[in-house]
Amino acid sequence: MAVKVAFMQNSDCWGCHQSLLNAHLGLLPVLPALDIVYWPAVVDFKHDSLVARPDGDILVGFVEGSLRTNADVENAKLMRAKCQLIIAFGSCSCYGNVHGLANEWDIEDSIKRKFEQVESITNESPHEPKEHMPGFTNKIVPLDEVISVDVYMAGCPPKPEAIISSVQFLLGQKPQPMADLSFCNDCSLNNENCLLEKYELCFGSITSMGCTLKCTDNGDPCVGCLGPAKTVSSRAEKLKAMTQNIDQLSSGDKKNLHEFLTLFLNVPLMSGFDLAGDILKQVRRTGEPKTALANVPADTGDIYSNILRFLKNHREFIKISTVCDQCDLQIGSKSQMTRVKRDYEGLPNMNDCLIEQGYLCAGPITRAGCGGLCMRVNAPCSGCFGQTAWGVNQAERFADVVTKGFNVALSKEELLAQMKDKLGFSEKFTLATNKNYR
Amino acid sequence: MVKEITVEPVTRLEGHGGLRFVIGDDGKVKDAQFNIASTRFFEKFLEGRYCEHIPRITPRICGICPIPHHLTPTKAVEDAWGVTIPEPARKLRILLQNAKQYSSHALHFYALAAPDFLLGPFADPALRNVVHVISKMPDVGAMALKMMDFGQKLCADIGGKSVHPISAIVGGMKKPMSEASRDKFLAQINEQVEFSKKTVEIGLKVVEDYWDVVANVGVVPTYYLGMTKNGVHDIYEGDIRIVTPDGKKIDYDVHDYLDALGEHIPEHSYATHMYYKPAGYPDGIYRANTLAMINCADKMATPLADGALKAFRDKVGPISHHTFAYHWARLIELVESIEMIATLLQDPDVVNPDCKTLDVQPREGSGVGVTEAPRGLLLYNIWSDAEGICKKANLLVATNHNIAGIEKTLMHVAKQVFEDKALEGLKLPDPWIN
Repeated sequence: MAVKVAFMQNSDCWGCHQSLLNAHLGLLPVLPALDIVYWPAVVDFKHDSLVARPDGDILVGFVEGSLRTNADVENAKLMRAKCQLIIAFGSCSCYGNVHGLANEWDIEDSIKRKFEQVESITNESPHEPKEHMPGFTNKIVPLDEVISVDVYMAGCPPKPEAIISSVQFLLGQKPQPMADLSFCNDCSLNNENCLLEKYELCFGSITSMGCTLKCTDNGDPCVGCLGPAKTVSSRAEKLKAMTQNIDQLSSGDKKNLHEFLTLFLNVPLMSGFDLAGDILKQVRRTGEPKTALANVPADTGDIYSNILRFLKNHREFIKISTVCDQCDLQIGSKSQMTRVKRDYEGLPNMNDCLIEQGYLCAGPITRAGCGGLCMRVNAPCSGCFGQTAWGVNQAERFADVVTKGFNVALSKEELLAQMKDKLGFSEKFTLATNKNYR
Repeated sequence: MVKEITVEPVTRLEGHGGLRFVIGDDGKVKDAQFNIASTRFFEKFLEGRYCEHIPRITPRICGICPIPHHLTPTKAVEDAWGVTIPEPARKLRILLQNAKQYSSHALHFYALAAPDFLLGPFADPALRNVVHVISKMPDVGAMALKMMDFGQKLCADIGGKSVHPISAIVGGMKKPMSEASRDKFLAQINEQVEFSKKTVEIGLKVVEDYWDVVANVGVVPTYYLGMTKNGVHDIYEGDIRIVTPDGKKIDYDVHDYLDALGEHIPEHSYATHMYYKPAGYPDGIYRANTLAMINCADKMATPLADGALKAFRDKVGPISHHTFAYHWARLIELVESIEMIATLLQDPDVVNPDCKTLDVQPREGSGVGVTEAPRGLLLYNIWSDAEGICKKANLLVATNHNIAGIEKTLMHVAKQVFEDKALEGLKLPDPWIN
């Protein structure tokens, strides 16, 4: 049965939709699983039809765009009421995006420039349009300051594969059908050697059987490649007990857990996809619609819940990687930053870290998820996936990080002094989250 | 009794708009409004930014056409600073701009417009969308997806990202295409040309089926705004061209844009009303986008497209005021873009590493950059200080050029619908799909 999804577009560029459409042929297996009840960019349902739906009627709501107008704020609240899960879709709703740069001024200054001062205006006494217009918010704030958010999907735009895999995760879609029996029924280890009995985190008891390359043949635990089975083996109880005390896992088990999250739950951990709560619980609470995620055996569901709760409480488990972790350019290169270069100067070589070549690149303070796309065409990171630390002066943090860990001949103070547009460089996509500019 | 009819929101639209019609006691249409309820103040927050960072910010104006919003401010800053870019960079940019034109026009035709025609205007709104078209016409759906995919992948390859591109820099391009990637796209070009021809066939069949609608609904004389280079259709560089309702063509150097283009702030829309200044407001209201570009062009830049233009003119005359002909005009541009892509992919300059000049120095001054985005003329006027920091910016963006023209057309069509009952006798074809 298809699940109901809705897309709300607030003030933004349509780019998240374009990114979703960029999956192109990758969309074909996903679309039949979706009952799209609101998506003005693509389908013809009007605003009234969304208002008329019962509260909680829709499983997943994607909320895209900045909260620039009062209508944007109302739309966000409407979506919260109608949807069980809210995804902050893209960096506009996560962080305000470039539009948040307007928070540097009072809204009256922006209105004046746009509707009164622009050189091509010809009205005798031009002023802000008011007839049937929603009016503007004084400052842009991120979506989660207005409504609660269940999933954050950052990126400007989020990558198509991240969107598709997130949707698949939420729908519980897996590439293979669920097998009747679990991997334990096919395992080559006997009771004595059972990894679970040795307190190793092995997911065979809840995973579909049928794989041709069995990890346990090499003494490694099952990490759940084939997804959930329709029934669980008796060892699932043991696994459940282990996941209840998951804090005490060894480092080897944490690696297994990482792989399980990626392969079994299809959580695209490194693609800017954050879970803010116990999603599963919310899906199960209503029981309808029956997604595969809501429809696994009870023990399997409990194990999901344990793991997701652990993730919620231990954000550090998913190491916050920076764009540098995904960048091919070399840090500690022969190049050395001796002064801050502007982007238009020279042409960087394709080997050395752009910072070490002198350019301002926001990679070291920006969270990973993009795959380092900009640096591949010689362009510095501009920070569209958001930052790895919040509530601090980002320009200073940047200067701190690069003067310590990069081949930079400048002191922190010198570097900051040479940065002319500090906000525009270090908080281009996130100024709306900065409470000093409210 | 006065009746108000609203459409909220307008769907299959890139952006946010609502329609509002007021019908009086006498059955006459008193008002027709196109309410655009969103704006984000780029004209303000670009102030204080590094000029060379503007092309990293402004693509966020439009996720469908971020390429023109990347290239046009780059051109404006180059104009302000007096920078000349190497020829290979210019060709790469033209290739990039055409890649965007191709995918955007395919998206517009198949995902935004086609559901109206393939299912017919009275279809169930729940089904009148591209998802349904794909499920009912899987072959056409797959072809449409492959066309968009080709264009978007080419954008991503040259631009670094398709949404939002990063490879243009004041002074040229950060990197040429690799030979391997060029070859990969060249290998697909014949198939894509065939897809374009097939799309034109579908389009012409639609025009034929709906000829009664095309010829009679929303035929509204306005001015037109476009760009040509020596009279030839061009989407990367040239002069601003105005065409008057009776077909007279007037060219303006881009630096003189304020002589031609006026911006009226209406009471009921954040998107402003553009008009041809010498004719005054509202008489000078113009339209932009594909039909305007076709009306402006003396000829197309490529042979197949020029043939398609001749066929168009044979049918509708030297100037067309047919709103529904926008779709047809779009297909002529689609063909031109794939021909341009085919030619440029064979040009050794697109893999030439000499694509960035080192001779770039900020200077104080104003610069204007203009391109033709898929939805209309795109103009950036950027004022730089001596250190290359943006002092102020004026942006006349593509869709904005159409708002007043759309509203004028709405009024015309509302009268046709509500007063003249003109739709009742229209000949409509059977839907292709249900």
